[in-house]
Amino acid sequence: MEWASPPTGIKLEGERLFLMKIEDFFKEDPLLCSIKKEELLELPFPFEDPKEIPGIRSLEEGKWREFEVSLDGVMAIGISKPKTEKEKREFINRFLSGLRKLLSEDDNWTFFRPLFHSLEYCQRCQLCSEACPIYLASGRKEIYRPTFRGEILRRIIEKYLKGKGFFSKFKPNDFELTFSAVARLGELSYRCTLCRKCAQVCPLGVDNALIAREIRKLFSQELGIAPKELHELGTMKHLKIGSPTGITPQALKDLVRFIEEDIEERTGERVKIPMDKEGAEVLFLHNTGEFLSFPENLEAFAIIFHRSRIDWTLSSELMGYDAVNYGLWYDDVQLMRIALKQVEIAKTLKVKRIVLGECGHAHKALLGVADRILLKELNIPRESALILIEKILREGKIRLDPRRNDFPVTLHDPCGIVRQMGIVEVPRRILRRICPNFREMNPCGVENYCCGGGSGFAVIRSANFPDWRNLIAGRMKLKQIVEVFQDVISPDINKYVCAPCSNCKAQIRDLFSFYKVWEKCRIFYGGLAELVVNAMADLKRPFIEWEWR
Amino acid sequence: MAIFLGFLSWFSYFFIIFLYALKIARYLRMPVNLRWELYPLGFKEKLKFLGEYLIFSEYFKRKKTYWLFLYPWHVGFVGLILFHLLCFLSALFGREALFRITALVGIISFLSGLFGGIGLFIKRLKDQDLRPYTSFTHFFTYVFTILLFSSGLLAYFLEPSLEGYRRFWERLLRFDFVKVSDGLAFHLLIFSLFLMYLPFTSSVHYLTKILGFFLIRWDNKPMRKGGRIEKLMERQLQRKISWSGPHLQQGSSWKENVFF
Repeated sequence: MEWASPPTGIKLEGERLFLMKIEDFFKEDPLLCSIKKEELLELPFPFEDPKEIPGIRSLEEGKWREFEVSLDGVMAIGISKPKTEKEKREFINRFLSGLRKLLSEDDNWTFFRPLFHSLEYCQRCQLCSEACPIYLASGRKEIYRPTFRGEILRRIIEKYLKGKGFFSKFKPNDFELTFSAVARLGELSYRCTLCRKCAQVCPLGVDNALIAREIRKLFSQELGIAPKELHELGTMKHLKIGSPTGITPQALKDLVRFIEEDIEERTGERVKIPMDKEGAEVLFLHNTGEFLSFPENLEAFAIIFHRSRIDWTLSSELMGYDAVNYGLWYDDVQLMRIALKQVEIAKTLKVKRIVLGECGHAHKALLGVADRILLKELNIPRESALILIEKILREGKIRLDPRRNDFPVTLHDPCGIVRQMGIVEVPRRILRRICPNFREMNPCGVENYCCGGGSGFAVIRSANFPDWRNLIAGRMKLKQIVEVFQDVISPDINKYVCAPCSNCKAQIRDLFSFYKVWEKCRIFYGGLAELVVNAMADLKRPFIEWEWR
Repeated sequence: MAIFLGFLSWFSYFFIIFLYALKIARYLRMPVNLRWELYPLGFKEKLKFLGEYLIFSEYFKRKKTYWLFLYPWHVGFVGLILFHLLCFLSALFGREALFRITALVGIISFLSGLFGGIGLFIKRLKDQDLRPYTSFTHFFTYVFTILLFSSGLLAYFLEPSLEGYRRFWERLLRFDFVKVSDGLAFHLLIFSLFLMYLPFTSSVHYLTKILGFFLIRWDNKPMRKGGRIEKLMERQLQRKISWSGPHLQQGSSWKENVFF
């Protein structure tokens, strides 16, 4: 059975085409890639039968007519088709204008050098293809190859920007830039999770994930086009009301009270979550989506901090309570605006340092990428909560009984924390200490595979994109998880995937629901802090509740 | 012909050095980017990089059939440069042992480069992963290198003593251009043209990959208050934005855009 094919009411004008040559990408109308479930990466028991796995829902006829979805019949952004030829030309011209800016030191000083390096020195040896979980999971579909986007971009640059030099005659230029091609390129930039595993294996230091990000940036910063979950309901909402989740400062206070009550109910202990405490040692900045979807993670941190007498606080100031920064994935200006506001809150609160909760991209954004724009007094010390937890355990501030975690546990390494921040051994040391049945996935650490929800995928809910995400983007991770638990795969045994990242947890939740992993294998997921609290020797009852949600 | 070949040789050397230097200078002058490092980045990684640099270990590990041709091809280039350098030294010092080493390096370089060039040409033509991404210029480069190495091989077999090479080099340094055999003249011509062609390819990646690793991939230098990076960043934030997205203020600086 084919999926994501056009409904019967839609007739493609050209002959339906599966990509054979790079030039095919530029042709109008045909659907470039259609994949059969049987062609995808094989999964281990009990998921080996493709018939039992849901497919990708076809978009309705109206969407096929209104939006450009001819890349693979999937819609992440939803770029409207222009009505007239004039509109099409204007769209192409604006794209080319953005491309010039992407290659300008003034407009793109932020990533000019890495982008130049990747565009200029990639030898197209395809070493990176074998590292890309999406390309492999798709059954090696050409459009998902890490080098494919860069190659399209390079050819457009050669033909339309570099132009008429002697050597240009010998470069591939047998194509015309069409609206479809530009819109497809925009969509295609959202078929890469920016996990950067491709960059990791490149001997020349080329970063094809960065190219995907830079295409996203061009669409956002020049054309004002981005998935609404990232821009309109993401960074814009974040800057306006304090969080993409819609939680206002007042709502946060109510939520925190609820969480305090829940802690008391679970542990019998009254734990106060400090709010807006001026001069505190630590401003705990976490993903607010976590408070709603996985409140037990904040509860676990509150218990750990309370018992180890950490002088900490949350902030209820606008922009002070959500660590996310969706700008990291698609827009430099939004990235900077959010990072600057976050540290301004910390400065106003006069805290000694910011500690980031279990959120991979927040780590990367505030500890790494934004570091160089935090000038002078905004350069406030920042660290990972994982480091703080390890320090607390090392100092023996919490009495632990690892036997309480006597079930198989594996660690999913969030890309933003391992490959992009270098925090690799810390969670492992903690897990080895508190989980006697800890086991590693293969590969792991800096060579991990992305959960499939990276770079905003986990929050993009447009049309049939979540189906694509679960079926393709998360497939490799599912394979790894099921393989690591293969000896205990029976649903009679509880198993735990430790994913110290909100985004990864949201993706694993969706992935497990899609494949019915909980029902078939009883594999649960959660953070690291929950495991630490679950191992506390004097807790009356287990902190982890084996209930699917 | 001798004068032409002499001038062409000088010119080609200056040309490639000049253009490579420009490329490197441009790379170094690029604005300092936001941090985009990849881990791990310790000493062990640097050692691994050295291995990759010298024996293309990553290719060997992950794509052996490609390495089988890619590595000899590059050995051919490095060997060729070394061969010319040795010819120059032989001309200056005239030792028998040096002559033998020069000949050995030459023959290894020509054979290795020829094998690699032909292999890569076929590999790029036949391999379904590589073919769609291989352009005319790729094939042209392979053909050019095949011509280069085979002409070197031919010149060597025509004159295994390398006497002509040494005389050419010795005189070249004194701007005294000497006539050489036709076979050698052809190789020297191809070699000079190849040197002039190289800057128009991405061949400088052999140097820029070092820069790429040190200035991008391993660059996790934190910002220090009052430090060099902070000063640079302050300047860069003054640059004007011409992006026209609806959420941006076109024409104002980065600083005005982000501190709002």
